[in-house]
Amino acid sequence: MKQPLSLHINDEIHELNLAPNKTLLEVLREELDLTGTKEVCLLGSCGACTVLVDNRPMLSCATLAVACKDKKITTIEGVKDGNDLHPLQQSFVEKGAVQCGYCTPGMILSGKALLDENPNPTKAEAAEAIAGNLCRCTGYAQIIDAIVSAPEIADSKSTKTQHETLAGTLDSGPYLMPETGE
Amino acid sequence: MNHLRHVGKSVKRKDGPDKVTGRAMYCQDVKLPGMLTGRILRSPHPHAKIVSIDLGKAKALDGVKGVITVEDTKGIKHGFVETPRYPADQEVLARDRVVHVGEEIAAVAAIDEVTAQAALELIEIEYEILPPVFDPHKAMREGAPEIHPSHPKVAEKESYANIGGKTESGWGDVEQGFADSYYVREDRYESHLRTHGYLEPQVTVAQWESDKLNVWTSSMGAFNKRAKLAKVLDLPYSSVRVHKAYVGGAFGGKVDLYSHEYCAARLSMLTGRPVRFVASREEIFSAYRHGQPLVVEIKTGVKKDGTLVAQELRIINNSGAYRGSGVVVVFLAWGFTMAPYRVPNLKYEGYSVYTNYTVRAPQRGHGCPQVRFAIESQLDTIAEEIGVNPIDIRLRNARVADEELPNKDNTHEAGLQDCIKIAAEKTDLVAKYGRDRKSPPKDSSIRHGIGIGISAYMSGTLIYPNGSGVIIKMNDDGSAVVLTGAIDLGQGAETIITQIVAEELSLEMDDIKIVSSDTDTTPQDIGAWISGLTYVTGNAARQAATNARVKLLGVAAEQMNVTADDLYLDNKEIISQSNPDNRLSYQQVIAASVANHHGDTVIGEGFWRTMRDEPNHPSLATTKGRWTENYAYSAQTAEVEVDLDTGEAKLVKALTVHDCGFPINPGLVKGQIDGQVSMALGHAFMEEILTKDGYTLNTSWLDYRMPTIHNMAESEDADVITEQYEVGQSYRTKEVGEGLVSGILAAIANAIYDATGVRLHSTPFSPEKILKGLRELERQQKAAE
Repeated sequence: MKQPLSLHINDEIHELNLAPNKTLLEVLREELDLTGTKEVCLLGSCGACTVLVDNRPMLSCATLAVACKDKKITTIEGVKDGNDLHPLQQSFVEKGAVQCGYCTPGMILSGKALLDENPNPTKAEAAEAIAGNLCRCTGYAQIIDAIVSAPEIADSKSTKTQHETLAGTLDSGPYLMPETGE
Repeated sequence: MNHLRHVGKSVKRKDGPDKVTGRAMYCQDVKLPGMLTGRILRSPHPHAKIVSIDLGKAKALDGVKGVITVEDTKGIKHGFVETPRYPADQEVLARDRVVHVGEEIAAVAAIDEVTAQAALELIEIEYEILPPVFDPHKAMREGAPEIHPSHPKVAEKESYANIGGKTESGWGDVEQGFADSYYVREDRYESHLRTHGYLEPQVTVAQWESDKLNVWTSSMGAFNKRAKLAKVLDLPYSSVRVHKAYVGGAFGGKVDLYSHEYCAARLSMLTGRPVRFVASREEIFSAYRHGQPLVVEIKTGVKKDGTLVAQELRIINNSGAYRGSGVVVVFLAWGFTMAPYRVPNLKYEGYSVYTNYTVRAPQRGHGCPQVRFAIESQLDTIAEEIGVNPIDIRLRNARVADEELPNKDNTHEAGLQDCIKIAAEKTDLVAKYGRDRKSPPKDSSIRHGIGIGISAYMSGTLIYPNGSGVIIKMNDDGSAVVLTGAIDLGQGAETIITQIVAEELSLEMDDIKIVSSDTDTTPQDIGAWISGLTYVTGNAARQAATNARVKLLGVAAEQMNVTADDLYLDNKEIISQSNPDNRLSYQQVIAASVANHHGDTVIGEGFWRTMRDEPNHPSLATTKGRWTENYAYSAQTAEVEVDLDTGEAKLVKALTVHDCGFPINPGLVKGQIDGQVSMALGHAFMEEILTKDGYTLNTSWLDYRMPTIHNMAESEDADVITEQYEVGQSYRTKEVGEGLVSGILAAIANAIYDATGVRLHSTPFSPEKILKGLRELERQQKAAE
């Protein structure tokens, strides 16, 4: 009954052999040990299992894995900035948007889908983006704050990176300075 | 205070990076080789005799590795309360009789979920249906179906049936008090059934390896779980190791021992393979433990100026089919009554009544929102009747600092008076109050109202394991590892403990790694379910840091040829005050300690017990004995809008003014406040477990509506810092994680009255009830005309 299926997840291709009734959530958690995606209600009622499929937020508990063939899947494990936290992740930490953490991966992916399309969202737009994600701990205000503050953090990160690069170049001595052509 | 570098600051969560990257490990993420899937067979009946159970077909199914019933247990009972008066009362699987829908009868371990589920369906059980009873008042009547015999101490004096326990307390002379009162009134308030709504389902993974049980389980305190699990399995504590896992929310719902935890352990012992149970959301809604609705009958007498003279309360708790924490709630409801206001004459009785509902658990606030809703609603009614405003009547009765309570507790630096004053000032409550009732807007069906509610909450009490220990291991480079049994449910336990250690040892947050909540490798801890973790474990951490600091200073004094009192710690250096050039790094001091003190690598140990001179927790039956060291106080206001056409009420703005002592981390405090306001909003308007004949009708979040972002209200807060923190001094942090679901609920009810003139006597505050109240007001008005 199993069928071969190749899934493109977090910039890696996974060659799998799966029963066709497997949900994307089951495949992520059970076959691939990508347990950052949380399994909560299995009814599409809480948003905790949200992942991105071709950059759109999807409920992985209500999505069959076979329906994701040839699509690009991003889970929380694929959200990063090089070896660093992605600005949105950093914003969640800094703004107190995390308590128990169970809604967090889904919230971050819902927020990321918004930010990828709309880099400077309003609070109302952020609220719309997470309208399908339940959080029992925070009361949501800090989560909204984290989403709308992420662009600022991204800006400060990129400025910092430029400084560091420049400082690194200068510190490493004149022989590494660009040749002037003289 | 200005010298503080870590405590009192909104330091970022220690576990933040793990949680935003998906690396944080929860029980559901634990995967062991050869792991089996467990499922539980539950009672389809609210009350029935089990005539026979046939496991033959289930056991014979391919892929089934183990099936257990009560016959496979040692028959050892457990209970949320296990005291001489209230001994353990529940077996881990039903024996001979089931007393609620969803009661656990048998459990299966199989190679996968489909097989496990199929096996459950092959278990054949013959039942003989018994008459059930769901209404606590009907259950109390003589001749009602007996779920369990009434407690013998109650049965001696009263003929009520199905009484699991009773709390009786009071002082003064209420009859005389009522006779002396200027105004007396009686009311009745009811609250409803809600679930905790933790996102992480209840999960247990158990792995038996020859003489050791490894357990990962959703909990609120690993040591409490270990004690209960070891007891029902008849194993020494040393043979049960509850491992650390993050917890995806609990709110009271993950304290008790649950049958699936026992079943996972027992089935692993029988099959020799790891076994995992994950409760489905439907199971959680229909068979697991929810909160405790109370019926509160309250009679109050006041002087002409609103001073309370006498109060009489009778509380009926529908505690479900076993004792659970039902007898605790009727004790706590007394405490939440007497802590905020002075009542010179009080008579209190609370009954915990068995019914054929699912067992009940603690739930954030544990009785406080129910009684504050009643008391604060009635107080507003009284205030209006005698012509006193809602603020004045509260200020007149609210407790002040350094008051001795009837149970010999002390209010210490209680900031309740300030909380009420600040709440009134910030909202301009007195000016706004009554505005829309006096001059209703003509062109709109929307009415605005404002209300206030206050509450007090205990900050930890004596209940197993009673105390917390913390160990700090200094690394030889001067950094540190903290071992604590504390569990982080999201409240930030790991972060605040790290802040305290960083402060006391002058380290950076990143210098400290925390190892937590593991019964084998970390010291015993009181857990995160008794509202005292920051106070008790926090002080244990401070003691451990002090212990390490004294050792470092002693060695440094020898090396630097000065006395220890000349030295201070600054950023991993020990410096002489008299000669600041005379300094050593922690690394040098630790090396000297190893060289000159028989290899002592510098380990700090600390421990703390609240009310250390008290032998025991207070009596649940008589309330005698001290309850807590520190009361957190708060005043909360609600501003609401009510649409007269639809009856729909909405919380627009909440203000919480609180005294939580010294906030170790104001950002985390704010997170707790907002979360509680959001939970109270759900309580007030949205959430209700609907049942019929003991069956839960709404078993998912599609039918049980929890607040989403679109239901949120603005939540503001202000604190009244009453107690300061100093390095090396013990401190009184107070509760802030659950009491604040209470005053706000009452404030919402009072605000709805203020907007509409409709006084609600039960939660939730649904459009139907508000419309009914409005129609009644119209009828009264017409009758008067």
